Amino acid sequence: MIEARELCKNFKDRKRGVVKAVDHVSFNCKAGEVYGLLGPNGAGKTTTLRILSTALKPTSGTAIINGTDVTVDSQKVRSQIGFLSGNTGLYGRLTAREMVAYFGNLYGMEKQAIRRRTDELFDLLDMRNFADSRNEKLSSGMKQKVSIVRSVLHDPPVMVFDEPTSGLDVMSSRTIVDFIKHCRDSGKCVIFSTHIMSEAMRLCDRVAIIHNGRIYREGTVNDLLQATGQNNLEDAFIKIVGE
Amino acid sequence: MQMRNIGTIFRKEVKDTIRDRRTMLFAFVMPIVAMPLLMTVIFKIQMAAVQKIEGKRSEIVIQNIAQLPPELRDSLMTDTTFQIKTEADFAGKTLMDELKLKAFQALVVVPDNFAKAIELESPTDIEIYYDRAEEVSAVAYNKLEEVMSRYRDRVCMSRVVKRQISEDVLKPFEVKGNNVASAKKLAGKMLGGIIPYFLILTCFLGAMSPAIDLGAGEKERGTIETLMVAPATRGEFVLGKYAVVVLTGISSGLLSIASMMGFFKYMANDAAMQQMKAMLNIQLDIQTLLLIFAVIIPVAGIFAAILLSLSIFAKSAKEAQGYVGFLNIFLVLPAFAAMVPGVELNYQMALIPIVNIALIIKNAIAGTIEWNYVITAFVSLFALAALALYFAKRWFEREEVLFRM
Repeated sequence: MIEARELCKNFKDRKRGVVKAVDHVSFNCKAGEVYGLLGPNGAGKTTTLRILSTALKPTSGTAIINGTDVTVDSQKVRSQIGFLSGNTGLYGRLTAREMVAYFGNLYGMEKQAIRRRTDELFDLLDMRNFADSRNEKLSSGMKQKVSIVRSVLHDPPVMVFDEPTSGLDVMSSRTIVDFIKHCRDSGKCVIFSTHIMSEAMRLCDRVAIIHNGRIYREGTVNDLLQATGQNNLEDAFIKIVGE
Repeated sequence: MQMRNIGTIFRKEVKDTIRDRRTMLFAFVMPIVAMPLLMTVIFKIQMAAVQKIEGKRSEIVIQNIAQLPPELRDSLMTDTTFQIKTEADFAGKTLMDELKLKAFQALVVVPDNFAKAIELESPTDIEIYYDRAEEVSAVAYNKLEEVMSRYRDRVCMSRVVKRQISEDVLKPFEVKGNNVASAKKLAGKMLGGIIPYFLILTCFLGAMSPAIDLGAGEKERGTIETLMVAPATRGEFVLGKYAVVVLTGISSGLLSIASMMGFFKYMANDAAMQQMKAMLNIQLDIQTLLLIFAVIIPVAGIFAAILLSLSIFAKSAKEAQGYVGFLNIFLVLPAFAAMVPGVELNYQMALIPIVNIALIIKNAIAGTIEWNYVITAFVSLFALAALALYFAKRWFEREEVLFRM
């Protein structure tokens, strides 16, 4: 479903010159699988995910999302993806329902379908009582739920989560984690980035250790633990990156 | 480029903008309320100042008043706008010092034998001391000068009559100034500079607030990323947002004009205002209004494109505001051109954006519409608007601009 092929992304920086934010990154992720990009801040996780979701164009290499090349038909790729990040915001002056409907429209959904799907998801996430309140009045947990509905309204086969729990409290994080499991169980291909090892251990079928724009090691959590002879992912991570 | 997407974006941004109190304040409330308020305040202050000077009695001191011819003395004494004192009122003080200390406004020094000299028809002088730097003093001097001139004219007449010569000999000819300017043209001169300036300013301010919110606001709220991964093109986002900003700019510009016209028509009801109304007795006819409306479209188009470009470049609304404040000077200042004396519409001027519409509106209010210049100006304005919009679109497509966070 997701296939990254030798992705590279260079940024020009006035002080540091050309920065290789993503350096020949390749991996693949199947339907019903959760693939984790694990790395510290500035490792290239966000840039990689932005390339996959076509917000950025790769300097070289490409990625195939559900059969479509991101460098060929970015519009089609976008309609296949649901995107959510921890610092995704909402339009404060719109209500939850209006905000979700706006994105439904942008994703080309029909009015009827938007209403049906919104009701379904609002019920699932227990959002009925604030569906018509303005977003600016919602708590951070409620806001996160609105973001979830926004990302999944068009029922995309691929979900991209960029540090989805960063800055969230325990309850909101739990909502997100449950939602990621829900996506996996309903057969979606899920890729997500995090720097929180415990989250990766709990959720990911496979992880890639990414650092300085490169993938150092890839495999199931158990593979990585065995290969490094460590008994937790954090130590394994340090060992792999330190090599 | 899909119309459906542009429509979706447009509708959402309109809804969002209408619910934004700041934008409402800048784009709609301010032009309606501020304009008449501002004009009233300026006018009232001016009227009050004038009344203060003219309504107040001028205190004058006439030194040696006994030497004034009785007729002149009577005219001065009976004039209620004067309060006449003599040197006796300031015994022990130096009159010249008292004048400088503003104890009174003018000092008339009558020479000895003044009345006699006039009777004997021998030349003589009367001196008036006043303080040019003090408005009240200058007013007193002007009034004194007027009374004395009238008296002098009467003396001349009587001398001529005494010699059995016709009075007409003193009036070889009279200069009659006839004003051929229509009321509309006169008003145009006065209002002509102010109306386009206000129009351009309110248009700018109206476009400013939504532009900041629709560009930098997306970054500040953290919604820009969700837009970038939604299957609408960046061009569609630009056009949808652009249309909203243009519309707001046009609306506030027109509201300010409507509010000003309404103000002149219905609200200015006290005497002083009536006086001004009479001076400005112009009806902005339908042709002029249509022209103003037509002109405001490309202006809003230019403002919106430039504002939106800057806004999307900025990392936050605050940064955007900084750029816009700077921009304000370059975009709105040219509108002052219409108020500068001697700046007239010609082909060169018609090519300079903003300056051209300021001049065109000024002339239109004064009753002249020169279509050759109007067309030239429109070509120049729409070309710039198109260029700015193209630039804005390119800007929206650049990763380093969108993700400059």
